[in-house]
Amino acid sequence: MTELVLGALWSGVLTGSSYALIALGLALVFGTMKVINLAHGDLVLLAAYVAYTCESALGVNPLLAIPVAIVVVCAAAVVTYALVSRIRRDRELNSLLLTYGIAVMLTNGALLLWKADIRSTKSPWLQDAIVFGPFYSMRSELLFFLVSIILMAGLWWWLTRTWAGRAVRAVSSNRDAARLMGIDPQRVELASFVVAGLLAAFAGVAVFSFGVIQPALGTSLTVKAFVITVLAGMGSVPGVLVGALLLGVTESLTTTFASSALQELAGMVLFLLVLFVLPNGLFGARRVGT
Amino acid sequence: MSAAAGTRIAWAVVLGLVLYAGVPYALAGNLYLMSMIVAALTIGGIALAWALLGNLGGLVSFGHAAFFGVGAYASALLVMKSGWPIAFAVVAGGVVAALSAVLVLPALRLRGPYFALAVLAYAHIFRIVATEWKGLTNGAGGLSNIPRFPVVAGYDFASKTGGYWIALSLVLAFVLVYWRVRESHYGTALRAMLHSEEATRAVGVNSTLLKAMMLFLSAFMTGVMGAFNAHYINFLEPDYAFSGLWTMLPIVAAIFGGYRTLFGPIVGAVVVYLVDQLVFKAVMPIGHQIVLGALLAAMILFSPGGLLPLLTRRPGRAQHA
Amino acid sequence: MLEIDGLSVRFGGVTALDGVSLHVGARELVGLVGPNGAGKTTLFNAIAGTVRTQRGAVRFDGQDLSRRPAYARARHGIGRTFQIPQPMHALTVADNLTVAQRFGAGRVDPQALDELLALVGLADKGFADAATELSLTELKSLEVAKALATRPRLLLLDEVLAGLEAHGKRRFARMLAEIHQRLQLAIVVIEHDIETISALCPRVAVLDFGRLIADGTPDSVFADAAVIASYTGVAAHA
Repeated sequence: MTELVLGALWSGVLTGSSYALIALGLALVFGTMKVINLAHGDLVLLAAYVAYTCESALGVNPLLAIPVAIVVVCAAAVVTYALVSRIRRDRELNSLLLTYGIAVMLTNGALLLWKADIRSTKSPWLQDAIVFGPFYSMRSELLFFLVSIILMAGLWWWLTRTWAGRAVRAVSSNRDAARLMGIDPQRVELASFVVAGLLAAFAGVAVFSFGVIQPALGTSLTVKAFVITVLAGMGSVPGVLVGALLLGVTESLTTTFASSALQELAGMVLFLLVLFVLPNGLFGARRVGT
Repeated sequence: MSAAAGTRIAWAVVLGLVLYAGVPYALAGNLYLMSMIVAALTIGGIALAWALLGNLGGLVSFGHAAFFGVGAYASALLVMKSGWPIAFAVVAGGVVAALSAVLVLPALRLRGPYFALAVLAYAHIFRIVATEWKGLTNGAGGLSNIPRFPVVAGYDFASKTGGYWIALSLVLAFVLVYWRVRESHYGTALRAMLHSEEATRAVGVNSTLLKAMMLFLSAFMTGVMGAFNAHYINFLEPDYAFSGLWTMLPIVAAIFGGYRTLFGPIVGAVVVYLVDQLVFKAVMPIGHQIVLGALLAAMILFSPGGLLPLLTRRPGRAQHA
Repeated sequence: MLEIDGLSVRFGGVTALDGVSLHVGARELVGLVGPNGAGKTTLFNAIAGTVRTQRGAVRFDGQDLSRRPAYARARHGIGRTFQIPQPMHALTVADNLTVAQRFGAGRVDPQALDELLALVGLADKGFADAATELSLTELKSLEVAKALATRPRLLLLDEVLAGLEAHGKRRFARMLAEIHQRLQLAIVVIEHDIETISALCPRVAVLDFGRLIADGTPDSVFADAAVIASYTGVAAHA
């Protein structure tokens, strides 16, 4: 019994680490632009399909597709940013609709190019099971777990130790004050989109490596990322990590002890619970006034 | 009565004749086109409900499919398992959908974009529940042979034309309700709430309740359309009933046709759906809705008030959709 | 009629109101003064229900309104204006009053509406767009009319004279006196202009650092050493 729980926890942590990459990208963009990029999950999807294409067309290991995925997804992110920044009025609402439209385009684009069939990696090396004790995982899961730790550490370092990262945090917390100190918010916004794209690229290849992909995945990943940011509470980056792990663990526990069909529901119920009971999320700052 | 009122009534009568008699007569042979129009009207009804929630309630939702599916299943199950007459079941479908909106109420205190996505999450939740609660909904297998509309006064309303009349009447009824609410004191207060919620509360307006009422009304209308659809196509399954298309198409339709007008969402639905099905789908059988996504993005960037209002040269107002 | 009992309001680490107790009778005209940051607007917010109180009670006609939301208190008879006028955007002046009547008073009364507009000097501005077509004075007049349209028994006026020049102030003060006379309601006025307040109100209460430090006739209050000290920062010499 303990073995089962431990195994499920481990599995949840592995999945959660990839979720964290996705949710962090969403949170970064929201922090600097106050915009929720509804197409974010589809950026991840794009990376996943790039990995698939590289594997099926060139026969290479999906890991080698990462540089390609980064280029493609960051380009898409930059285009998204360019369009979103064109919105002058009612940005909050209009950007939702715009990115929703972009998401529809990306999902249907995936349908057009790759059809609705479910795809996953054929690489046996990635699918190899690695077991120690009760901890079972696929090599790809372990690999990307390490990758995501490195990426998150890198992100933390970037946000706290570099000027660019500090500029991002400045704009996120007080845009006008940042501007007064000579920071160009637009360059910061662009940077946050690019970094979000970078994280999404890795997450996409990860999802392809240890999961299954199909065009509808884009939307469901966006929903998951959104659920995580609600769990975390607005404006909390460490909260996103905890929220992602929480979601991952909830899903794997549900799969182990109930059924895999219910795992998505479990995450949703968690979301509802937070909404009803802890509207500021687990780490959200209490908003004074409005 | 005044000449102006007289003219308006005359136009209404002519329009009524065209819609109720002219269209079925002209399309008598073309069942395919007729069913397209019924589908377009269904989407138009949801588009209207969505626009109402946005205009009056100030709330944008990305999950209206949730209410559509709940209404569909509720009505189908009430008829199939409890023997309710279809007319009552359809209304009950709307009521159940409105009740499901109660679950969405805590999301009202979230800021704009968060509310929009919260409803999306609800759509996912309801879909999964419908898939897993096999005892109630027969799960992924779906419900087949959902009872059709009955024969009334000798006319078979299960026919394509019958379905058209029902859908048309529902949509027109919704327009009427929307219009009356908008013109009432509640409508005035709701309009004020969009920009000055604090000021309205200071003069006695229970703004939270009013917003909730608009949510319930919008959910009710959408649920009724879902119920109609269930008895019209006689088949339901979770992926269909809660499909993201029931969210996406109404949004594009409403914005295309003119988000702020009474008839805009409906006209938008007819145009967008027919063009999508008859033109884009013919060119790209799979993934043709990429054009709709592009259309939505383009409209937000260049003409948030919609395209039809641009063509009929209505005065530009607030620049968000 | 209005009973404030040991009211305390805290924002994070800041204590805005500290155990304030005050009583206002049914037809009193009371001035509320005090240096900036004393908590005057917070007191209004606490009475009107737009801010949460940590301790104490607000009783109106014997009923404890402390847990009731703002809109309910407005319906109950507490009307208030905002320091920075908050007209209802997207509506005309007349519609502003109609909404206030319908939801605050319970029914729409077109005749009363016209009388109100005349009373505040907006008789010919009924169809003006409240957000874009009014001058500052007219906005303030609308602010008062809006609150009056809810048929309040207590009217809270928050610095309604601020930003007006001398002539405007006198006119407004005359209007307030007329309102008090005609409508026979209780009014509490926050104001910085000591001269105007003393002339207008038979009773003045003074807040400083969230505490009530004086309450009486204008003459007695403004001669009070503590009050003088609060304004000048130095203890007054006898």
